[in-house]
Amino acid sequence: MSLRNQAAIVGIGETPTDRLGSKPGEPRKSSAEYISWAMRLALEDAGLSLTDFQGQGLGVTIPTAYPQPFWPEEVAEILGITPGFLQGGATGGAGAVSLLGGMAAAINSGLIDIALVCGAAAPFSEHWGGGIQPGDMRDWEIPYGTMGPNSKIAMVMRRYMHEYGATLDHFGKIAVAGRYHASLNPLAYLRKPITVEDYKNSRLVADPVRLLDCVMPANGGRAYILASPERAKTLRKKPIYLKGFGERSNPSYGPRAGSDALVMGVKDAGKVAMDMTGIRHSDIDFLQLYDDYIIVVYLQIEDLGFCDKGDVSFYDRTDFTFKGPLPIQTGGGMINCGQPSTAGGMLHIIEAVRQLREEGGERQVPNATTGLVSGLGVLPYGKNLGCCAVAILGNEL
Amino acid sequence: MAEVDVRKPLPAITPEAKPFWDAAAQNKLIMQRCQDCRAWIWTPRPLCNECGSERVEWIPMSGKGAVYSFTVIRQVVGRAASKAFEPDIPYVVAWVDLDEGPRMITNIVGCPVEDVKLGMKVSVVFEQASKDIWLPKFKPEAG
Repeated sequence: MSLRNQAAIVGIGETPTDRLGSKPGEPRKSSAEYISWAMRLALEDAGLSLTDFQGQGLGVTIPTAYPQPFWPEEVAEILGITPGFLQGGATGGAGAVSLLGGMAAAINSGLIDIALVCGAAAPFSEHWGGGIQPGDMRDWEIPYGTMGPNSKIAMVMRRYMHEYGATLDHFGKIAVAGRYHASLNPLAYLRKPITVEDYKNSRLVADPVRLLDCVMPANGGRAYILASPERAKTLRKKPIYLKGFGERSNPSYGPRAGSDALVMGVKDAGKVAMDMTGIRHSDIDFLQLYDDYIIVVYLQIEDLGFCDKGDVSFYDRTDFTFKGPLPIQTGGGMINCGQPSTAGGMLHIIEAVRQLREEGGERQVPNATTGLVSGLGVLPYGKNLGCCAVAILGNEL
Repeated sequence: MAEVDVRKPLPAITPEAKPFWDAAAQNKLIMQRCQDCRAWIWTPRPLCNECGSERVEWIPMSGKGAVYSFTVIRQVVGRAASKAFEPDIPYVVAWVDLDEGPRMITNIVGCPVEDVKLGMKVSVVFEQASKDIWLPKFKPEAG
């Protein structure tokens, strides 16, 4: 069944991000405060009230530092909603995009008419303890002194550079384009423009990964509201339609015990979404790609089919700013806006909606009608990212 | 400064992995293989994740492989237990592709970190981490 034009985003909410709590004695906010703040912004944007969500959909991204096993239900209580369809986003950083597909399917089925999707985290102001959970990471990674995702992404990046000859200049170009867009986004956290030299000179975090390769944790909350097309037409803002959706979790390219770590599941998730939409690559006006690391943005551009695998010259010749043929991360991406755990990935949906409503301000992509958003989550043993979701949004029916 | 007693986190010996750790304690590297589709299975699990067969057996490995990729850990970050690795800095975390195919996360030991290269041939060595746990690590092959 196709989800094309079966649901529309009618409201978005994004709190500013901060790092309150990183210094002793600073005033702090909780996850509950960020999530209700984001919800309030989304309701105002859509012209809806909480009562519109009784018996309807509620989706909540599940943070990696998990407050407790029933967090989505607790969020319903925090917000004061009695949902008829409650879903936790269980695909890590891909959760915001996964829930877009899941809620659109629920709307399309007639189960619900409208859904609120939200997420928040406050890693600097709340501390949940850092116990090591059972699984591959505990048994086969941490005993070797791996230092979280940085270690594994560093290995992906080094292998990529080795196989295809990509250089720091290629990665730096993506970092610079993102920061340039952030400088034009009042809600971005890191707004001072940088140069490729700044990128190359930034501190090595996990060789070859540098500081300016990495997303920054932050406190914050994000939300969006999805509605049936009929309902969407009655609301305040121009509906932004879901045109296509695809998801691949636990992708493997080659044998599962030793797959190609340089190919990402967006390769297949993207194809499903593109086929559902029925468009070509040249019809896409911008990309908002999940960006926990610069190398991951780079790989997605290839694996989504915008250039051939390993064609580094594409990165030399393409302008990735909002003025060019393939704008990426038009609000600066998560790397410059901050990552409140799994709510981080919601940023890309929100920015896509802004662009498609022509609310992009100084960074508006001219005449944008169609944009692609991705979400990624989880770094499994021996592989690239384990949960990949792609959504295509458009402002025309 | 008072010394903090931080020990390195150890793997749990799960039922699926017990044969692996028993062999490792005898300095032998073994992995599971599917008797039906012949796929290698790593990490240990109750069934073949290529074909679903439950007919999986433990096979001795050559212990030889090559570095697929690596990073040099120069700073500990994250959870408190990471601190236990501070005295080892700098050290290499690597993906090693065994000659038979499976890819392991491991450490490259027995050479300066600057000497580690992609594609470098390595062979297994076992380092005792506790009474029951011998961790397979890899060193450059002689010559």
